Amino acid sequence: MYQVTTLEMKSAAVRLGGRTIWRDASFRLEPATIAAVLGPNGSGKSTLLKAILGLVPLSEGSLQVLGRAPERGDRRVGYMAQSRFVDDLSSITGRDYVGLGFDGPRLGWRRDKHKGDVVHQALKLTGTLSFADQALRTLSGGQRQRIALAHATVFRPELLLLDEPLAGLDLAAQAEIVDLINLIRDTTRAAVVVVAHDLNPLAPVVDEVLWVARHQIRSGSVAEVVNERVLSELYGHPIEIIVTPRGRRVIVGLEEEFAHPHPHGHDHTNESGHEHFAELYEEETT
Amino acid sequence: MSLLQLLSTSFVQNAFYAVTAVSIAAGAVGYFVVLRRQAFAAHAIGHVGFAGAAGAVLLGLSPIVGLLVFCLGAGLLIGVGGATLDDRDAVVGVTLTAALGLGVLFISLYSGYANATYSILFGQILGVSVANVILVALLSFAVVVAVSLTYRPLLFVSVDAQSAESRGISVRAMSILFMSLLALTTVVAIQIVGVLLVFSLLVAPAAAAEVLTNRPWHAMALSMGLALFSAWLGLFLGVWLGGPVSFWITALASLAYLYARVRVALGSPSRASSRASSRA
Repeated sequence: MYQVTTLEMKSAAVRLGGRTIWRDASFRLEPATIAAVLGPNGSGKSTLLKAILGLVPLSEGSLQVLGRAPERGDRRVGYMAQSRFVDDLSSITGRDYVGLGFDGPRLGWRRDKHKGDVVHQALKLTGTLSFADQALRTLSGGQRQRIALAHATVFRPELLLLDEPLAGLDLAAQAEIVDLINLIRDTTRAAVVVVAHDLNPLAPVVDEVLWVARHQIRSGSVAEVVNERVLSELYGHPIEIIVTPRGRRVIVGLEEEFAHPHPHGHDHTNESGHEHFAELYEEETT
Repeated sequence: MSLLQLLSTSFVQNAFYAVTAVSIAAGAVGYFVVLRRQAFAAHAIGHVGFAGAAGAVLLGLSPIVGLLVFCLGAGLLIGVGGATLDDRDAVVGVTLTAALGLGVLFISLYSGYANATYSILFGQILGVSVANVILVALLSFAVVVAVSLTYRPLLFVSVDAQSAESRGISVRAMSILFMSLLALTTVVAIQIVGVLLVFSLLVAPAAAAEVLTNRPWHAMALSMGLALFSAWLGLFLGVWLGGPVSFWITALASLAYLYARVRVALGSPSRASSRASSRA
């Protein structure tokens, strides 16, 4: 089957409130690939997702999403927003929440008779059937993220955008979500863009890395981007990468990112519950 | 007069029609107030309404005119300024304070009979006029129709604004719409229970329903049912035993909420159990 390139960005820039978030960004993403979006807080990772969703316009360059200009409400694109779910108090059930992914934008009384089946398929794909009828507030963080993935995949999108799906989860739950993302990619052949703080939990499944820092976006395979030469050039000072015996990467030299104020207010995340090692990594990269 | 004769008087019957209409609207809108955690906004709009009613009385107009103008104005302000959660409380608080200040001024300028103020604060359902009953019924009907038509997007933005936005729903437009519906509902609820007790119809039944069930349609229906129950029984008890009707309604609605919390705390399975039988 012929498949168009899922995402193609050429020399793109986004300006918000008179300030350049990033510029000169070019990358391609093919179907059934997983791309991790990494970089410091406030560098414009969420903005990248919003540009793809058509919520934020490009100021320069071009962006093709599944062969078209980005369009708000495109059902071929699934989106899971940054994790407000972690401390969610919603009384509604997971099934109802996934149902909103199906017909939430629709006005009026009319009900689609396929809704039950479509929702059921999404719950099945994400392995959430057993707790889909419980209130969201009674679920664990990992269960909520699985429900959120069901919500985002209810139309079997060809492109899945996930903003910090691992935030606030312990390492075991992170690994489960990563497995599920991989399963969704394999089953639906969707391309997946995952914004993350930490490459390590995603490393086993990631095909591409988009590193957003200092108003630039570097893309390529993990080896092509997450190396000392590229990161040192990107940040403008020497970066060291230490690979642990288990293959995890610790990045040294980004400490001063801490001293920078956040350029805009929408990229904050508050992660907790990490084990010590992950925390160390996260501090070094953010 | 016997109880039966009392119940068949026109003022009790007017009150019955009014509480029926208001309870249905308040039960429906109240569910979203609870879901969106906007009880503070509901509280504020009621108190802003007090300033409006006092102003209308000062100008020699019907209090409901002032209520409509001030409540809708406050609803729009809060809807526009507080669409995102970050600054919602501040917008609501400042709106509330500014309006209450005006209310104090209006009352101090008004030298007439204080009964008007009293009925705005505590409700005066047994004195409701036929014209007001018709207005209340029409407004309630409009609110219920609007809620049922926009039910899904309203639920969507209330539960997950970011995802809803990405699917093409304007969070701001929904916020403005909802606050307008809340304002209209507050105006009609004030006719029955007054500014100070507006929560008894607008929040207590919905909060009880939200505790008892996790299906949105069920919760909304239950919320309306509990509001109707409190209002009907409260009206009946007020006529039968005496005492302000708004007291009885408030007591019953609060008891309903207490009952819901106790029931869930005692481990009723209604909240956490799986319910495969009632699939979406």
